[in-house]
Formats: sequence, C-alpha cells, structure tokens
Amino acid sequence: MPLLDIRNLTIELDTPHGRVKALERVSLTLNPGEIHGLLGESGSGRTLLAKAIMGIPGHNWTIQADRMMWDGQNLLDMSTKARRALMGSEMAMIFQDPISSLDPTIVVGVQIIEAMPENKALPWWRREQDKRKTARQWLHKVGIKETQKVMSSYAWELSDGECQKVMIAIAVANQPRLLIADEPTNSMEVRTQAQIFRLLSKLNQLHNVSILLISHELENLSLWCDRLSVMYSGQIMESGPTADVIAQPYHPYTKAILDNIPDYSNPELHKTMMQTLRGSAPSLQHQPIGCRLGPRCPQAQKHCVNQPKLSHHKDRYFACHFPYYNEPSHDEPLTKS
Amino acid sequence: MARYLARRLNLFFATSLVLFVVMFSVTAKFPVDHTVALTGIHAPTAEEQASINEAYRLDKGQVSQFIAYLEQRLSGNLGISVTSQNPVFNELTAVLSASFELAFVAGAIALLLGIPLGVLASLSKHKITQHTIMAITLTGYSIPVFWLGLSLSLWFGVRLGWLPISGQINLLYEIKPVTGFLLIDILLWDSRYAWSAFVDALQHIVLPAVTLAVLPFTVVVRITRSAMMSIMEKTYIKAAEARGLRTYTIVMRHALPNAFIPVLKNLGLMLGAFASYAIVVEVIFSWPGVGAWLVSGIYQRDYTVIQGGILAVALIIIFLSILIEVLHTAINPLSRKELYAAH
Repeated sequence: MPLLDIRNLTIELDTPHGRVKALERVSLTLNPGEIHGLLGESGSGRTLLAKAIMGIPGHNWTIQADRMMWDGQNLLDMSTKARRALMGSEMAMIFQDPISSLDPTIVVGVQIIEAMPENKALPWWRREQDKRKTARQWLHKVGIKETQKVMSSYAWELSDGECQKVMIAIAVANQPRLLIADEPTNSMEVRTQAQIFRLLSKLNQLHNVSILLISHELENLSLWCDRLSVMYSGQIMESGPTADVIAQPYHPYTKAILDNIPDYSNPELHKTMMQTLRGSAPSLQHQPIGCRLGPRCPQAQKHCVNQPKLSHHKDRYFACHFPYYNEPSHDEPLTKS
Repeated sequence: MARYLARRLNLFFATSLVLFVVMFSVTAKFPVDHTVALTGIHAPTAEEQASINEAYRLDKGQVSQFIAYLEQRLSGNLGISVTSQNPVFNELTAVLSASFELAFVAGAIALLLGIPLGVLASLSKHKITQHTIMAITLTGYSIPVFWLGLSLSLWFGVRLGWLPISGQINLLYEIKPVTGFLLIDILLWDSRYAWSAFVDALQHIVLPAVTLAVLPFTVVVRITRSAMMSIMEKTYIKAAEARGLRTYTIVMRHALPNAFIPVLKNLGLMLGAFASYAIVVEVIFSWPGVGAWLVSGIYQRDYTVIQGGILAVALIIIFLSILIEVLHTAINPLSRKELYAAH
C-alpha cells in the first residue's frame, strides 16, 4: 500500500483578480521508504502541493481532491486536531525560506527544543534537559559545529544556510515517516549540500523515512531519488522511476528539461543554440486551458486543449496526448545540423 | 545597549530642556505681575520682593534669569498656589498619585480585556463574531468621552444607584496617607473598617476607570486583531504548525509576543490623547487627580498651579513615551538588529 496516494488534487486560490487554479488535477503516489523527487520550475506549484500534503493551507485556498490517502486514512476527512497530531510526528517539512520560518522574537534554541520528542522513560523534571541534549546532537548531525552559539542566537543573526540546517534538524528530530524537503539545500555551499543529501539518504535507509524531495535541479534529483515526478504550471507531466524517466522521457516537457543539460562530450555541439522551449512559463492568472504546456509544446496539436488524463505504461505515468512513446531512446538532438 | 540607553536618556533631557524654555518664556507673558506668575505671592513685602529678586535674578539678563528659573524649579520650588497659599509641589504630589491610580486601573482594564478580545476576534472563523467585535470597538472609539462619562454616571450612578459618581472615597473614611495611593493605603490601614473602605474605594474607581479605559481598550483590540491576522499567515507560524504544536502554544508563544510589539508602539503614540482624556474624566467624576486640579487652577487664574500641572503632565508624558520606546526595544529583538547595524 502506498504511504501517500493523491488523486486529482485541485487547489484554487482566491486572488484579487478572481479565483485561479494553482494546481490542477495533480496525482502523486509515494511508496514507503522511497525518495521521491518532485521536479519543477519555481511557480509550478511545488510548495503548494507540499503545504497541502502537510495540511497548512493559506486562508484563501480551496482544496478539492478525489482522494488524499495517508497510510489508508483519508486526510481530507480528518479533523484539524487529528491532522495536527500527524504533523511533526509522522510528517515533517523543511521549508524553502529558512529565515522567515523561524520566529524572529525567540532564540533558535527554544524553537528547536520545542520540537524535540519527549523521552517518556525519564521523570518529568529531567525531560527538558534531555531535550536540550538531543537538540544539540541533531544540530551536530546536520553539520553545525558551534551548537551552543547557534542555539542562543536569533534567526536573523544566523546565515541562510545555518537557518536551513536548524530547520532540517527540527524536521528530522522526530524521525517522521514522511519528510517533505522543499528545496532543502538552495542556500548552501556545495559541500554542505552533499552532506545534507547524505544525511537525508541515511535517514531514508536506516530509519525507512520516505522523502519527498522538491527541487529544480535535475542533477541532484537524479542522483538521490528513486522516483521522479515532473511538474509544470500546476500540472503533473510525468512520473516514474528516475533511471527510466531520464533514459527515455515520454513527455515533451521532460525531454525539454533533459535536452537543457549542456552536453560537453560532443565537441561538435559546442556553441550551438541551447535547447529550450519557446517562450516562458505563464503567470498564475493567465494559464492556458487543457494541457498547460500546450502553447510551448513542440508536439502540441488541436487536441491538447483538453487536459490529458494521467495514463500509465508499466511503472510510468504521463499526462500527454502525444507522448514520445515508441521513439528510440537515443534520439538525435533536434538542432544538430 | 548601554549606548542606546544613554542616547534615550539624552533625548529625555533635551526634550525636557525645551519644555522648560517654553514654560519660562510663557511665564513672562502671563497677564499678571512677573513675580506673581513666578512665585504665586500676591503683594509681597519688601523683604519678600528682595528675596524673590535674588532667587530668580530678576535684575539680570534673560539667560541668567532662565538658569535661576531652572534651579528653582528643579529643586522642587514651584511657588505657592495663588488661591490656597499652599506650596504647589505638595499639592502636586498629592494629586499625582490619585491620577496614577486611575490611569493604572484604566490601563490594566484596557490591556487585560483588550488583548484577549483582539486575539479572539482574529482567531474566530465566524464572520458574525468578527463583525460584532469590530462594530463594538468602532463605536467605542467614536464615542466622545465626556458624553460617555455623563451617561454612565446618569445610568449607573443616578438612575440605578449602583455606583457612586464622584470622588475617590466616601468622606466617612479618613485614611492616613502612607504611599499616596489610596487603594494601597487602605490595605495598609490598620482598622476594622479597612475592608469596607476598600470596597467603597473600588466602587468609586469603577465608573471613571471604565470611562477612561474605553478608548485605549478599543485601540488595543483593533491593533491586536490586525497584528494577529497578519502574523498568523507568516511562515514561522505555518512552520510551528508543521512541527505539530497545539494552536494554544502557537498563539501564546509565537504569535502573541510578535503581536504585542505593534500594540506597545501604538500605546506610546496614544499617551497624549490618554492624558487629555484623563483630565476630562477627572473633571466629570470629581476625581481628586492632577487633571481636575489643573482645570480648577485654570478657572481660578492660579498661574503657579497651571505651570506646575503642565510641567508635571508634560514631563510624565515625555518620560513614559521614552520608557515605552525602550521597552519596545527590549522585547523586540528585531529592533535591536538595527542597533547592531546588522542587516
């Protein structure tokens, strides 16, 4: 049974310009113990999806879904209280914007200790001390050396990277079953990035934590993820095992992203035009109907004004009327000439 | 931090000096004899006149006179009251404590009721509750205080007869002043009537305190509400929710301390309005405070009392607004960020 199974999730936002569909019929399946990558540009609704899974919607959201199953229970039917009990203990999230995710008027240490699990075996008067100890251990694990100094500082006294590490420590301390990591390393130097990814994958392997890793960097995702979902403008384009998706993308958007990666192996391709889709991603208020990639898609036809259903082939899912389905995988780049 | 405090203290002294300059130049413009305006002594004898001339250096230049004026005022010599012939300083200390008592009770009512109500208004999902609270506070904000005071005393004092409408305590009780604050003095008073006196004093303070509390209460409710509304949408609240904390913990530990910062700032801005409202309320309810004393001084052309009252009220307002700013810095680590020049 999948740990998380979302079918046709639609999120509408009430904006001053009327109601817009930020996410349209998004489906996502996450098996226990896997690292699932969610690839998408900024503004493609990745964070919205993450927050909807967590259960921390904004005040102007309307969430509809056929089902949102968490380990056999429907999240949509749960009360706020039951949902809150799930957060922190079973699900945890690393936020994208680390500094503003920490309370500016309280020192960081208090906020970390607040999130630490309580050791019920100890008498109550020693639990606080124990929490402080575990907090320092976790901080050390995520790569903070001066734990005491960080714990007694305010969020705005720390760098982005340090705040991000603090947020990661808070999220992983309860050893949740699902960890949603929203761009966990976007403000860190490369060495720390690798350290954090190693920590996440260690959590995944040793404690069977499922991870939903949200990023815009295909390289990192392909390195660490078992499965990959590709999102564009609030719709899921393609989903499948990472190796298969990269070896042979079915969806024009996935293919465009893969073509985007510069190829240095072939000296002939040096100084050719970079492979990109025409135009840019549409703004939230001006989304095209049907498949939202439509206006930019090289394969688009009249039929694409209807949103394609998520169809599947073996282990792979894709939402396209005209997939690169039976083409050879070693396709020649389009501009080679 | 020490440097910051020194700068605030400096601000206090500079502002007070300007206040003294204004007071000094206005004193010369009073339509009475200059010595009377300064000391309150009517028709002084030749000896008195000589000592006044010496104390205030009336035969010297303006600067020298101002320094002498400063010396006299700062050493506590505010002259004597023209009407009662008592030293203004003694009268002032007696009435100030009564005013502080009233202001303290009114402020406590406003904060202790206003902040929870503001939080409730921001958290309630029902449109009706929200609109009701907003409508009530807007009404309270726009009611003129003199009308409110008179109506309250008409209804609860005269028609229903529940509460006394004037004074601080029934004249039957004679309380020995120890601290100057009547409610505390009664508790210190060793008498078998102490308890009934305490109840009587409490009954006396209800109407004026409620009248005075209405304006700050409505402001506190509205500001707490709007601050809470914006803070509950902040990422760190969402992150706290995602940590699985209970709503109560989130509100008490993360939202309220942040929401209190703008409330405190607005309290500082409101001090002036609060002081003038207090004067009106004291006159309406014959509260023996600095406001009623000052207004009666104005009616009686008691120039020394007017000077003393204005000086005391202005100094207190300057001091309190600087104190609130320091408090604001103390509870708001974000404003300290600017002190450190960290970005």
